[in-house]
Amino acid sequence: MEILGFALRRLLVAVPVLLVSTFLIFLTVAGSGDPLTELRERQPPVPPETITAEEVRLGLDQPVLERYGDWLTGVVRGDFGPSVNRNASIAVEIGTRLGVTMRFVLVAMLVAAVLAILVGVVSAVRQYSWLDYLFTSAGFLFLAMPSFWLAILLKQGGIQFNRATGTETFYMIGDRSVPPPPTFLAQLADVAGHMILPTVTLVLIHFAVWSRFQRSSMLEVLNSDYVRLATAKGLPRRTVLRKYALRTALTPLITVIALDFTAVFAGAVITETVFQWRGMGDYLLSSINARDVNAVMAWLLVAALAVMVFNLVADILYAALDPRIRHVR
Amino acid sequence: MSADSSPAPVTGAEPGQWRTVATRFLRHRLAVAALAVLTLVALFAFVGPLLWHYGYDEITPDNSRPPSAAHPLGTDSLGHDLLAQVMRGTQQSLLIALSVALGAALIGTVTGVVAGFHRGKTDALLMRVVDLFLTVPTIAVAAVLGHNFAGKSGWFLIAAVLAALMWTTVARVVRGVVLGLREREFVAAARALGASNTRIMVSHILPNIAGPIIVSVTILVASAILAETALSFIGFGVQPPDTSLGLLVANAQSAVGTRPWLFYSPGVVILLIALSINFIGDGLRDALDPAQTRGPRRRRYLAKPVERTGVIPGDVLLSVRDLRVVFAAPGDDVPAVRHLDLDLRRGEVVGLVGESGSGKSVTAAAIMGLLPPAATVSGSVRLDGQELVGLAEPRYRRLRGRRVAMVFQDPMSSLSPVHTIGDQVAEAVRVHQGGSWAAARDRAAELLDVVGVPDARNRLRDYPHQFSGGMRQRVVIAMAIANDPDLIIADEPTTALDVTVQAQVLAALRAVRERTGAAILLITHDLGIVAEVADRIAVMYAGRLVETGTAADVFDSPAMPYTRGLLESVPRLDRPADEELWAIPGSPPTMTALPSGCAFAPRCARRTAECDESEPGLRQVSDGHLAACLHLTVERTPR
Ligand code: SF4
Repeated sequence: MEILGFALRRLLVAVPVLLVSTFLIFLTVAGSGDPLTELRERQPPVPPETITAEEVRLGLDQPVLERYGDWLTGVVRGDFGPSVNRNASIAVEIGTRLGVTMRFVLVAMLVAAVLAILVGVVSAVRQYSWLDYLFTSAGFLFLAMPSFWLAILLKQGGIQFNRATGTETFYMIGDRSVPPPPTFLAQLADVAGHMILPTVTLVLIHFAVWSRFQRSSMLEVLNSDYVRLATAKGLPRRTVLRKYALRTALTPLITVIALDFTAVFAGAVITETVFQWRGMGDYLLSSINARDVNAVMAWLLVAALAVMVFNLVADILYAALDPRIRHVR
Repeated sequence: MSADSSPAPVTGAEPGQWRTVATRFLRHRLAVAALAVLTLVALFAFVGPLLWHYGYDEITPDNSRPPSAAHPLGTDSLGHDLLAQVMRGTQQSLLIALSVALGAALIGTVTGVVAGFHRGKTDALLMRVVDLFLTVPTIAVAAVLGHNFAGKSGWFLIAAVLAALMWTTVARVVRGVVLGLREREFVAAARALGASNTRIMVSHILPNIAGPIIVSVTILVASAILAETALSFIGFGVQPPDTSLGLLVANAQSAVGTRPWLFYSPGVVILLIALSINFIGDGLRDALDPAQTRGPRRRRYLAKPVERTGVIPGDVLLSVRDLRVVFAAPGDDVPAVRHLDLDLRRGEVVGLVGESGSGKSVTAAAIMGLLPPAATVSGSVRLDGQELVGLAEPRYRRLRGRRVAMVFQDPMSSLSPVHTIGDQVAEAVRVHQGGSWAAARDRAAELLDVVGVPDARNRLRDYPHQFSGGMRQRVVIAMAIANDPDLIIADEPTTALDVTVQAQVLAALRAVRERTGAAILLITHDLGIVAEVADRIAVMYAGRLVETGTAADVFDSPAMPYTRGLLESVPRLDRPADEELWAIPGSPPTMTALPSGCAFAPRCARRTAECDESEPGLRQVSDGHLAACLHLTVERTPR
């Protein structure tokens, strides 16, 4: 409970900064041009009343300060405001797209974390072995790999695999088949099939960094006095590694993973565009292009919220794993 | 360490220091290779276009051609020469990434120094700002801003946008280092002299954080390359007709199958740049912070016991003969223990005394079989007749904690912070005696009671951080006696503790000895402690035993000049208790460059020409009192 209070206090301090930055971003997007350009230039011309009505609907007839005020009061009440796209509600769009994106972000993070722990521990325990060298080189390689390039590479690999085997094992376009397959199980398999390659992209990029980190924190713990004392007690090496070394070396990784959530999310935005998913990435890019202030603001707010939730979860996990934090008043 | 070394104020990085950094960097072969690759890439990007006859925006009549002599990287569907385009793209990407790194270094350093130096409210506010930047994916904000500015005025604005978003990593690193530096003596000294805050920040703190800044900025160049190319890839970075590596990949993505040459070359260039920058960063880190430099690469743990002829008397519990420990190190091997002979009888307390680096802790680790892989052990260590040198790990494990137990120096770090005291003590019982956790816990409470932990049963569920240093050391001692060992090795057990607590812990050790009858090998540099508890004393210098005898022998009639020096050194109240003080001029020899004769000769007042000829062996002074000196003089020092 204390940790919740701590997180809340931190949030409160962040509020003024958050206000200033939303204002700045609002100004930027609002200043980026007229969202109705396309409507105005449409052939045959749209009646001026329609354009005026649109202007009023989007609040374009008001000074920008007032628009920001309206947006703010709306957001506080849970209303993201109107979208440039008249047929879509921002909340509904973001709701469905967040599900699509978070699905593979979370799976990727989980897989990457498990892999990172395994690889990090193995390379620390077998320091300077050929396995360690292999993992270290792979780590450096993926650390330097542009995610979009890797995504296209995997996509091409998928195409070739499908062609070679004459199957449709991998799906390269979209986050699900249209129309969806009839049964629920088939739908599940369909979604999973679409998810594989984008997930692998995210996993490869991030597990590299995390395993490097896990390796060095494991090495540090292995050289610690309490691991030496545990060995001196006569505990078998396995117990020393699992109970003493791994357990303590995990806590710092949690912080790193939580901090990296934004990076994974950013990676997801890029990966999604390669695989043409209708997820958060696509929504952000199309909203920016449409100069849809409200949609962009909503996107950023939701992303920030997701990050905060994630950090909170990490804080709680951290406290659960480390009694020193738990008892801090 | 010279005798008069005071904390030197580091006011600037002297040229010599940077030269050693350069030397260390050059030794890092991968980093040097990476630097060469990066230089080549930079030449390719900035000089290449001057030499190549196609411009990046020139449309040639050959479209969609695979690589050929005329177009080494092929052409795209409009007829652009890809080599020219990749050169231009690399140039743009490098320009942007370097500017981002510079800008971010500037903002990050200033913010980090100010936050770390002022702490309190300023720090809290600045760190919230940093948090906020970490809250939203950089690429998203960059896309929003990039859409607004970038298309219009090229690479500079993209660089500005990215720098404004990427300075936070530098700020965090710098703040962390500054927070640590702030407490150091030279900053306090500068403040005492009346230097202004700005002056302290610029002239005292900045030079000391140059290393971490250089490393994090280098790594930042790689992140900036990846960010810029990603941004251009999604269409919010560099805009056509200009080009960037990310844009080239984006244009090629639909044609990977049909025109693969368009896709691979720009991607490989990005990979090459980012990879070499990371390697350079790694090399810089090792060069600037040698403490983190890797150890020897190969596992060299070798242990060969020597044959023993003599019979070990029945009352001798531990018999060490000709023990040698050598550490493999980059460059030369370092001897740590040289030809050590030592006997411990059952129930005896032997004080092993010496300065740090004399090999006493390595001796302890060798007996416990706890040396790191880089160490080579030879000689013979027999515990109750059993040879320990070269003993297979599973059998060694069964001895540890059961026959020989160990107490380490720093109780603050020798207990696992995430397990309860009860768990850790009960585990020591269970690992050798088995039984249920409940029974082991009961026994743990008993053991804690023996060593004087008040209210032991109720504290089993507590964690180490809820215990004071002295109490923690008692817990460690409780674990050591959990299986009634024959021998307890206590490595500087009181050094990390307050003077008042030291006496209590020592009393606990003494009580333990009365109760269990275990022999104790007490390793320390503090003669006061030895005088209180030891039956016999062994003095080590430069990895060798130089004097041994009963406590009375050594204290009342020290035979070797070094021992005499030790006894004459008077503890002073004006220095911390843990600082090692010897009234002996000079410092111990470097283990890689030992004198040919007596290792103590350079510091010895009694040195003669003979002393430099051969290393003196242990010679008998009186029955059971041995000393390694050519000029033995037995004086009775008045006590
Ligand atoms: S052998 Fe010579 S130099 Fe060494 S301690 Fe004895 S007198 Fe001093």
